[in-house]
Amino acid sequence: MTVHTLSARPGRQDPETGAQPRPVPWRQMLWVTWRQHRGLLVTTAVVLVGAVAGMLAEGLNLHHAYAGVAGCQPLQSAGCLQPESTSNSDWHAANGFRVAVLTLPVLIALFSGPPVIARELENTTYRYAWTQGIGRVRWTAAKLAILAAALTIPAVVISMEFTWFFNPFMAQRNLTSVTPAVFFTRDLAYPAWTLTAFCAGAFLGTLLRRTLPAMAATLAAFALLAAVTWWGLRPHYPVHTYWPMQLFEGAWLVFLCAALAAGTIHLVRHHAA
Amino acid sequence: MTALTTTVRPSQEATPRPVPWRRMIWVTWRQHRATFISVPAVLAAAAILLVVFGLRAHHDYAALVNCPLDPGKQSGTCSRLMANFNSGVWPLANVCSILMQLAPVLLGAFAGAPLLARELESGTFRYAWTQGFGRERQAIAKLVLLGLTLAVLAWAFSELFSWFFQPFLWVEQMNQMSTEAVFDTRGLVFPVFTLVSFVIGAFLGMLFRRSIPAMAATLGVYLVIRLLAWGVRGQYPLTLVTRNAWQFTAYGTPGQPGFPWILNSWVTGPGGKPASPSIVSQVQLSLGGGGNQPVSVPKGYTIWTRFFPASHFWPMQLIEAGWLLVLAVAIGAAAVWLVHRRAV
Repeated sequence: MTVHTLSARPGRQDPETGAQPRPVPWRQMLWVTWRQHRGLLVTTAVVLVGAVAGMLAEGLNLHHAYAGVAGCQPLQSAGCLQPESTSNSDWHAANGFRVAVLTLPVLIALFSGPPVIARELENTTYRYAWTQGIGRVRWTAAKLAILAAALTIPAVVISMEFTWFFNPFMAQRNLTSVTPAVFFTRDLAYPAWTLTAFCAGAFLGTLLRRTLPAMAATLAAFALLAAVTWWGLRPHYPVHTYWPMQLFEGAWLVFLCAALAAGTIHLVRHHAA
Repeated sequence: MTALTTTVRPSQEATPRPVPWRRMIWVTWRQHRATFISVPAVLAAAAILLVVFGLRAHHDYAALVNCPLDPGKQSGTCSRLMANFNSGVWPLANVCSILMQLAPVLLGAFAGAPLLARELESGTFRYAWTQGFGRERQAIAKLVLLGLTLAVLAWAFSELFSWFFQPFLWVEQMNQMSTEAVFDTRGLVFPVFTLVSFVIGAFLGMLFRRSIPAMAATLGVYLVIRLLAWGVRGQYPLTLVTRNAWQFTAYGTPGQPGFPWILNSWVTGPGGKPASPSIVSQVQLSLGGGGNQPVSVPKGYTIWTRFFPASHFWPMQLIEAGWLLVLAVAIGAAAVWLVHRRAV
């Protein structure tokens, strides 16, 4: 009997015995995630490209009109009154885009978060998916990470474009960067909220095991969290200027999202396949 | 051989008596009890919040209702009350107004998309559609029962919301006809929008045979219909044309009851010819800088204004609710036709 006295290095394949197969590399999950969620990813991309193009066209239009109003001298002359009277309809269009930008994170998260796990459970495809070589924990973690990244990057783009788009109306409507409805759409807060809504959706989908009730629950949870943050938490932040507030809100939302993702993985791990 | 010479009455002996429609009430309730319970529960919770917040808004509004709207003419107390109303009460009300505009499509997508698609997704359609009741009648009964319930609930909620939103019309200068956020959330239009998005959800669910993509598509189609409604609203054949531009100054600001929806105005010279740009800008100057003094118009020139008077609010609601209802019935019929065509 031969005794191996070499210390075993787990994770490496032993060429003689072949005891441990090499784990499936993470990047394989990129293709799996695309294949399983291509409907969502394509639809989101189309909607976002449409939104970005629409906002760009309307924004250029509004900025042009605004430059006309801002540079108009004297203010009461006949030439200046015309742009003044159209500024109301400009605001109208801008407000429509604002409503769309405010609701976009929760709508996208609603359709992307709950189905990640719940659809596998509903269709019982989890029996197949979770018994693959990569392991169910890595399977779930990879899908969550890839989808989260795929949603966060467009959120950053939309937020930056909207900040530029909305700039002319800030002074006109007495808004500042810490006005709740403006603060939400900017820099770190907007992608962080998108991410948190997605994580909440994934967690609730795993918890309730059905997509549709999980979507309704995500909507309610998001509304509740936004309301509590808006009226309960934000006035009590330890910091009161724009960038520290953005950092603080972004940080606690990312922590919340990480906790929800960990909860999702925990539920997946302990679910009897 | 005996020949029967009496006329046969086919419906009585030959075919079994059809299952009565009222049986579908129980079936619909049993299949969709989650919707029947959760929708009123959510609306009731929202109604309680609206009442609590609305009482505060009405209280604050009563204190400032006699203040002038122009900041230049406000006393110290008035400007404090106005600032408090604009920065303390209005932001929350604005959020409520945004949610209210999303409510029809959210209700419609969550209730409508799974209505027929869930049977297909879970395979239960093989059982449900082969019952004696008939699959088309079943689809019609479910669409009508759930649709009516949603519409009635939406109507009741919109009545409450209209009460809640009343104080903001004047302060925030919103017109009950020209401001979409107001016109869309009151009267007949709100419940009919809810009904339309519900049948769109049911139809797309039947078309895609899957609930979640149908819900997403419902959002998109609803947005298109909403934009269409905003586009055609100014074209309803209820406009009046006046040559008396002064009458509008008597109504004050757009948020006051009785204020019309002014569409456009133009100036004509002698003989009905369009006026030159210099005359137009002169008239615009006196209108824009105006207020109470009569507009000075050169002799022989007329200012024409096309507008919807405030009294046309309900006829406009009827027209819009009418065509939306026709659309809802057509889409519902298309959904039933898809049910009829689908092979079991």
